[in-house]
Amino acid sequence: MEMLKSPALTLEEGAAHLTRLLQEQVALANLPPNLRVQWDKWVQEANLQTLFWEQRHKEDWKYTPMDFLRFPWDVGLARRVSPPFSIPSVLPYAEEVDGVEKDLPALRSLPVPSSPWEALLGGTSSAHHYYIRKEGSLIFSVRGEGGVVPYLLTLSLAPHSVGEVWLFPSTEALMLLRFHLHVGQGACLKLFFPSYANEAQGYLYTILSAHLEREASLETYDLSTSREWRRTEVKVYLKEAGAKVYLHGAAYVDSKTTWDQAIRVEHGAPHTESNQLFKSLVRAGGRSIFQGRIYVHRDAQKTNAYQSHKALLWEKNATAYSRPQLEIFADDVRCTHGVTTGFLQGEMLTYLRTRGIPLEDARKILASAFLAEVIEKVPYEILHTEMYKVISSCLSSPAELSR
Amino acid sequence: MLTIQNLHVSVEGCPILQGLNLEVKAGEVHALMGPNGAGKSTLAAVLAGKEGYEITEGEVLFEGRDISELSPEERSHAGIFLAFQYPVEIPGVSMIQFLRAALNAHRAAKQQEPLDTAELMALLREKAALLKLDPAFLSRSVNEGFSGGERKRAEIFQMAVLEPKLCILDETDSGLDIDALKIVSDAVNALRSPTRAFLLITHYYRLLQYIRPDVVHILVEGRIMRSGGPELAVELEEKGYEALLSTA
Ligand SMILES: Nc1ncnc2c1ncn2[C@@H]1O[C@H](COP(=O)(O)OP(=O)(O)O)[C@@H](O)[C@H]1O
Ligand SMILES: [Mg+2]
Repeated sequence: MEMLKSPALTLEEGAAHLTRLLQEQVALANLPPNLRVQWDKWVQEANLQTLFWEQRHKEDWKYTPMDFLRFPWDVGLARRVSPPFSIPSVLPYAEEVDGVEKDLPALRSLPVPSSPWEALLGGTSSAHHYYIRKEGSLIFSVRGEGGVVPYLLTLSLAPHSVGEVWLFPSTEALMLLRFHLHVGQGACLKLFFPSYANEAQGYLYTILSAHLEREASLETYDLSTSREWRRTEVKVYLKEAGAKVYLHGAAYVDSKTTWDQAIRVEHGAPHTESNQLFKSLVRAGGRSIFQGRIYVHRDAQKTNAYQSHKALLWEKNATAYSRPQLEIFADDVRCTHGVTTGFLQGEMLTYLRTRGIPLEDARKILASAFLAEVIEKVPYEILHTEMYKVISSCLSSPAELSR
Repeated sequence: MLTIQNLHVSVEGCPILQGLNLEVKAGEVHALMGPNGAGKSTLAAVLAGKEGYEITEGEVLFEGRDISELSPEERSHAGIFLAFQYPVEIPGVSMIQFLRAALNAHRAAKQQEPLDTAELMALLREKAALLKLDPAFLSRSVNEGFSGGERKRAEIFQMAVLEPKLCILDETDSGLDIDALKIVSDAVNALRSPTRAFLLITHYYRLLQYIRPDVVHILVEGRIMRSGGPELAVELEEKGYEALLSTA
């Protein structure tokens, strides 16, 4: 896109411009009346100060390049497109409901915004609310074109229901996706968020929040080989006993790509469990950012919380930041975390080569093997094959130099 | 098959091998014995082409060709195989995937078509049986979570699959119980042939009771101090290194 090639604004100007643009877009009519007041307050307050300056100094934006603010965005278009492959799910489609009329759990638990971004995104006119009564799948395959596309999605799962979500947002410009999930008692949800290398280099900013009731479970699989600037904030609240969340992420971070995960898992009740398993392979000029926070409330005893992020730097000039954060206020808690960053082990390469495997093949095998620990956990084979295919073909080409 | 002349090798500037001579002919089994730190693994690493070893003097000829400039994969294609003293774990790569890549690379080097899955599996199962390895082990990640004995058996299994000309076994016997030692020795003996040679690096006489060597060498401080027939190993077993070398 021409626009992306010609940075025109300073970060401050861009932030002011984007704020105004989003403020004009906000249609709080999509939110239930009791929420509108609070949201409106945030929206009104969203100004340069809160949107940009505070943000920029916030810890979890510290490593994230904010170049998307440099463009004189206009409002873009959201176009429904068919998913990149046929979805192997056998579940029927989730039902779309008018959120304002119905008393939806996801709208009751929709958190009060914690940043003006959230308020601006959540108040958007493109809001869709879905409900799964027994079983259902939600497929979101939307392409943003020509400018800023804000989108709000909510999904409510009835108690003991089973659901799947397939997210395929893509954009040639800037897409802001706010997605809130409410997983009812005993319900199970699997969320797949694959993205594939494509020509366009857009900016995708997703805020995903989830509220889990008693014995509810959520599994997410974020698989990325895209060339975008991709920031995903995940905020999971394990509200009641027995709730479990498993977050997985595997990323091939190409040159000029930013893969940014800001995760917060909040244990709000006893006997809750969480596991974060993330791996990223980073090429020269690529940037991987992982910030995972585990917050355990005082009365959330007998909690298990695990977190692991490993980054493999493929070449020099690859960048990875990893920051685990633990805030634990209960004493009977099992919690482990580990982050590692490093280059491919020469020992492993030599071993493969002494068996006759040529250097480049050996490197490819080890690249796939590195991400395999996460990929193999994905319950659908098609997601494995797509990911391996892209990794193998991308690694055949030398890293482009960073901009 | 293998001719080493006046080989000097340094690691990080530190001389380890200091004028080593060795001649191994096709069909022969050579045992290389020596105290810890003598340079046995260094020699193995130099032959296999591991990085970080600098040849400062002398030469290594394999089938008449100087191999010092060859990459590890080229040496493997030429027929050199090293069963490592400490094989590394490769999480996420199954034994099948690994050996498929290795075999097909060997075949490609010989302008042969890759094996299809049925042929590959038949071959792997046959060789696994030779080493008395459970077929389930083929689906496991290379060396990951293997016991010491399993690792050593897996090395010999790979050797049986790749059918090299020169087999170098670096302390394959250490850490093996008597049953595993028998399995490994039987497999090695089954591979003995007039066109294949073995270099057995070991500390112990024990292994040589199962695999009979033609020549025994004693390596001390980077040099071969004595060579002889199998009786040299017996003498070493009785006297120990110091006494043996002082009587020399
Ligand atoms: N990678 C290395 N870096 C530094 N020193 C090494 C390295 N490998 C081996 N050495 C040294 O070289 C000598 C010979 O080691 P090695 O060949 O492993 O002996 P052996 O196998 O006979 O026990 C030892 O003194 C050891 O400390
Ligand atoms: Mg050794």
